[in-house]
Amino acid sequence: MKTFVIGLGNPILGDDGVGWSVADQIAKRTMDRPDIEVDCVSLGGLSLMERLTGATRVILIDAIFTGRAPIGTVSQITMGDLPDLTTGHSASIHDTSLHNALSVGRSMDIPLPEDEQVIIVAIEAENVYDFSEQLSPAVANAVPEAVALVMELLGS
Amino acid sequence: MQRITIDPITRLEGHGKIEIFLNEEGNVANTYFQIPELRGFERFCVGRPVEEMPLLTNRICGVCPEAHHMAAAKAVDAVYHVEVPPTGKKLRELLYSAFYATDHTTHFYALGGPDFIMGPDAPVAERNILGVIHKVGLEIGGKVIQMRKYGHTVVEIIGGRRVHPCTSIPGGLTKGINEEQRVEIEKMGRWAIEFAQFSLKAFNDIVLSNKTYLDLIVGDIYTHHTYYMGLVDANNKVNFYDGKVRVVAPDGKEYVKYEPKDYAANIAEHVEPWTYLKFPYLKNVGWKGFVDGPDSGVYMTTPLSRLNASDGMATPLAQAEYEKFYATLGGKPVHQRLAIHWARLIELLYAAERWVELATDPEITSPDFRAIPTATPTEGVGIVEAPRGTLTHHYWTDERGVVTKVNLIVGTTNNYAPITMSIKKAADSLIKKGNVNEGLLNMVEMAFRAYDPCFGCATHSLPGQMPLEITVRTPDGEPLQVLRQFCE
Repeated sequence: MKTFVIGLGNPILGDDGVGWSVADQIAKRTMDRPDIEVDCVSLGGLSLMERLTGATRVILIDAIFTGRAPIGTVSQITMGDLPDLTTGHSASIHDTSLHNALSVGRSMDIPLPEDEQVIIVAIEAENVYDFSEQLSPAVANAVPEAVALVMELLGS
Repeated sequence: MQRITIDPITRLEGHGKIEIFLNEEGNVANTYFQIPELRGFERFCVGRPVEEMPLLTNRICGVCPEAHHMAAAKAVDAVYHVEVPPTGKKLRELLYSAFYATDHTTHFYALGGPDFIMGPDAPVAERNILGVIHKVGLEIGGKVIQMRKYGHTVVEIIGGRRVHPCTSIPGGLTKGINEEQRVEIEKMGRWAIEFAQFSLKAFNDIVLSNKTYLDLIVGDIYTHHTYYMGLVDANNKVNFYDGKVRVVAPDGKEYVKYEPKDYAANIAEHVEPWTYLKFPYLKNVGWKGFVDGPDSGVYMTTPLSRLNASDGMATPLAQAEYEKFYATLGGKPVHQRLAIHWARLIELLYAAERWVELATDPEITSPDFRAIPTATPTEGVGIVEAPRGTLTHHYWTDERGVVTKVNLIVGTTNNYAPITMSIKKAADSLIKKGNVNEGLLNMVEMAFRAYDPCFGCATHSLPGQMPLEITVRTPDGEPLQVLRQFCE
């Protein structure tokens, strides 16, 4: 049983880096947990699917831009609720969506988690179009809540 | 007036939007292709040590970080006036060849290929890589995944990291490879050659042998007579990593060949009121609008452009395919945009052959992979061919090597004008009297999907509003209404 915690995003694109910020904190808090692997990547579609090889459970942390929730809102969603193209990275429209990529991988007998074992912790973002290493204040303030949610999911 | 919007464009990097305006008769009046743009990259870079640029720029784009890493590395070499030793150049090109093979594979099987393999009229849900696997067989999926794995592995061995390499520094690389690694890389490259041949055979069997598809490729719908650009080596053969920029005219004759440092004397950028992204064009021909022909400075940079702008491929198997390509399509240059997909597969084969050539080069394991810079840094230009087109990085620094100014012309930006023209032409041909169905709309998308655009990295420093702006125009072009999305 191996759980991957994956921070998704671009660390130099403003709030898009929030997934990395949260994952960094998780890495520090789970150093004594050999069953947990933490990483920060800027991947989507097939590349993200390939990165998930070998996981039985996955927690993806990503910025989300729905425009329907206050900036900094932390939500927990599943693959089933994943709105098309609204998360910055789980859906790479350059190749294919994560849904499709996971189906491709499974048809190749690549060991991948079931859809219900893929949990997405999403943080509503404000700025994902301006280059910056800073998070918006409301998004930065949401990091502890997102960290707590991921730790709870990890049973810590 | 009726308006049709294709949004979001499926399977395209960057959330683009196409607006098609119909006239009273229901025919296409005009089309606009607009995309949100990332902003402030120059401002972000100013004040940083220039040697950080290969690490920073590979975060610009999620699709081709390796291309930005290489263009940046070359620009930084130029800033420091340092010549990379042969082994350093070869290692970078080896990494780059493996990246190319991976990227072209992904495009063909996941993005461009499904349109042909499934057919342009197939349901959207089937026109993707999973549909391809269902139709062609599981074996093909396994090969695609294997090709990607090998490519990523080579990038990791030489570049230190998968997808986002980090080993290029001024004057070369931080590390070389040993014999054991070389053997592994060579073995994977030999497999890649077989895979590229398999892919070309699949293209031949599925696309070229199907008269409907061949007619679509050679037909007029996706044809434009423009200039073509690509990097070439000393023998005018296609090169992805190094060489001079060569431009051929619509008649195929060389128009200009220049050193990367001279790009600004040859390329200018046109501004349109309806988009924040600029349209690069050949400065000395001039901007005449979105039109074909030798008097229009519009040029294209894609796999097809590189083939058109060269005198051939530097490896034997790819050269044979190059000759077959032009023999089948009626000689040089080829103007039909859907032939870009075929050209991409020929480049896949070249990349795989070059991979093996470099992996078997006696110098490749030499420890002489870096020269230490000694000159005072000033400014420098680096150009590589990104899979989507010629990629230019230009940096200026102070005497300490701290960045003072940055200019980038990314692969896709070069093609903004031709893509806009192709969308218009496809829409003109395929939408008549208000008759639009999903198959027709997808064929409009096919027009520019061939270019493999990813506007996510089309960066220029632009303060102000969010770049998505929709202008509704009357049939005679007068603005009727301006809609701005996400603006403050």
